[in-house]
Amino acid sequence: MNNSILLKIENLKVWFEIRKNILTPPMYVKAVDGISFDLKKGESISLVGESGSGKTTLGRTILRLYEPTDGNIIFEDKDITKLDFKSLSWYRKETGFIQQDPFGALAPHFTIYKILEEPLLINKIGTPAERRDMILKALEEVKLTPVSDFIGKYPHMLSGGQMQRVVIARALIMRPKLVIADEPVSMLDASVRIEILDLLRDLQEKHHMSMIYITHDLATVRAFTNWIFIMYAGNLVERAKTEELIENPLHPYTKALLEAIPDPDPENRRRMRKVPEGEPPNLINPPTGCRFHPRCQYVMDICKEAIPEDIEVEKEHWVRCWLYSKG
Amino acid sequence: MREKETVLRLNNFSLTYKTQKGPLQAVRNVSFELKEGETLAIVGESGCGKSSLARGILRLFPRNLEKVSGEIYMDGQEVLSMKEEDFRKNVRWTKISMVFQGAMNSLNPILKTIQQISEPLIIHMGMDKISAYNRAKELLSLVGIPESFAERYPFELSGGMKQRVVIAMALVTHPKVVILDEPTSALDVITQANIMNLLKLLKKELNLSYIFITHDIATASELADNIAVMYAGEIVEISPSEVFYSKPAHGYTMMLLDSVPTLKTTKKLKSIPGSPPSLINPPTGCRFHPRCQYVMDICKKKEPPMFQKGENHYAKCYIGESHE
Repeated sequence: MNNSILLKIENLKVWFEIRKNILTPPMYVKAVDGISFDLKKGESISLVGESGSGKTTLGRTILRLYEPTDGNIIFEDKDITKLDFKSLSWYRKETGFIQQDPFGALAPHFTIYKILEEPLLINKIGTPAERRDMILKALEEVKLTPVSDFIGKYPHMLSGGQMQRVVIARALIMRPKLVIADEPVSMLDASVRIEILDLLRDLQEKHHMSMIYITHDLATVRAFTNWIFIMYAGNLVERAKTEELIENPLHPYTKALLEAIPDPDPENRRRMRKVPEGEPPNLINPPTGCRFHPRCQYVMDICKEAIPEDIEVEKEHWVRCWLYSKG
Repeated sequence: MREKETVLRLNNFSLTYKTQKGPLQAVRNVSFELKEGETLAIVGESGCGKSSLARGILRLFPRNLEKVSGEIYMDGQEVLSMKEEDFRKNVRWTKISMVFQGAMNSLNPILKTIQQISEPLIIHMGMDKISAYNRAKELLSLVGIPESFAERYPFELSGGMKQRVVIAMALVTHPKVVILDEPTSALDVITQANIMNLLKLLKKELNLSYIFITHDIATASELADNIAVMYAGEIVEISPSEVFYSKPAHGYTMMLLDSVPTLKTTKKLKSIPGSPPSLINPPTGCRFHPRCQYVMDICKKKEPPMFQKGENHYAKCYIGESHE
């Protein structure tokens, strides 16, 4: 396997400015605040966090749909952090985006054929006959068969699962090296979710793409990606290989997340779940030190004062928590 | 120990809606019993009729209702044939209340928490404002909202807090039965676990009975003593939750259980092919047969009756039955 690094994120910050009025100094929502990681070619990451943790902002910033405030995004050794709209056009071809809401992601007045042809036309690819071939193949890949039944249809004639398949086909038709899927199944029925996730993983492996899968649902990631990254209040608090993270969680927040997810077990109704009270902090004025400290049962004095370092506790298992600091 | 009282009983409850394409039977011959202090979870895919059933029990029918039939007994009294005015005064919210799906997003934006919670007391029980506010304050502490939040407006509350307000509103009139329609589906996992803890606590302290509607089989186990599976408007299996997870009898239940992602095991997940049938023209025989991996000839021809599969365990399925 080719183990070279595709995407390198260095100390990325995305702050959104808010002003109450023009006289007061601006305040910032620190949606992403100092994130670093590498993504290798062909590998996949699940980015897990609660709503408001900054996971969607991070995903969209990597796609350069948002401007980063600070830090670097390096894609195949090219720094794309500061590129302007025009110089980014090659990068758009290398990346694919699968949105959460298929109902809003497809133009209602385009047929499925036109929806899939659009990226090819914009990037001036192929002759009409070649494009037709590519579109038919893309639909076959996402198992919208018989293809001839679908190309003439409009989005409203499809079910949610079928629409999400079209979104996937469109994201992958340029054969991007990096795909970001933002909650691709949360709007779909439970019975369809696994099908769509399986399809996505198969295509990711088949085309040797790298993928970032953004989700709040830890239960679906187990058989899905190589890595799990846990996000809390704009920070990555823990990163590890999937099995390792589930079997051996280190950060108190990760432990709480895992404790909170019910497995189907009739004994559940007789026990209380040991989860922290409260909810994630406001990102305008996040807590000092470790952002989880007000909810953490292991809180120490140092947690309130200083931001924990990223420590590689075991091989390929990083955590930001003072409990594991050797200092 | 004394025998537990039955607080709610449905007998052949059916709901038919009018549509442009013809009558649609959203709920078909549903019968079950709910005992005091017990929880019945109703699980099923979207469109299976579980929300229609929940609202139907409270007699909240949509405008395109064509026909409603069957019986609903609350504390032994038949309430489906009651006059609407009597039902509103004496049953709805006083004996049975509901936490609606997404209710936390439909709190009145210009009412403070305390006003929001005391409103049912003033309207349903004719209480004066001061005693209603006092009762509402009791409720706040019961559901774990700090007293200082009483004066806040919904936009000043987090999702979890809003859900607690909605639960308080459902409990303020001392009902015996509370219907929970997807009470945690819009919440984050940790908040969801906190709300489930609260619901378990309330159930124990107030001896409540819940009807817990969810599409999530794993979450159902958080509260359920018994579980009913709904498919295409019908209850196809009903069993104690110990039996439900270990010895499912209906083909649909078996396939549902195979599709549940779990954290602690690495089993390969299987999805159920196809989608739920149209309720205007449901399939002949067993309504699940076109999607069932265990389908037999008889399933296509003859509708299965409710077979008894074990103690308190019933399923509408030919699997394991001798039949001609």
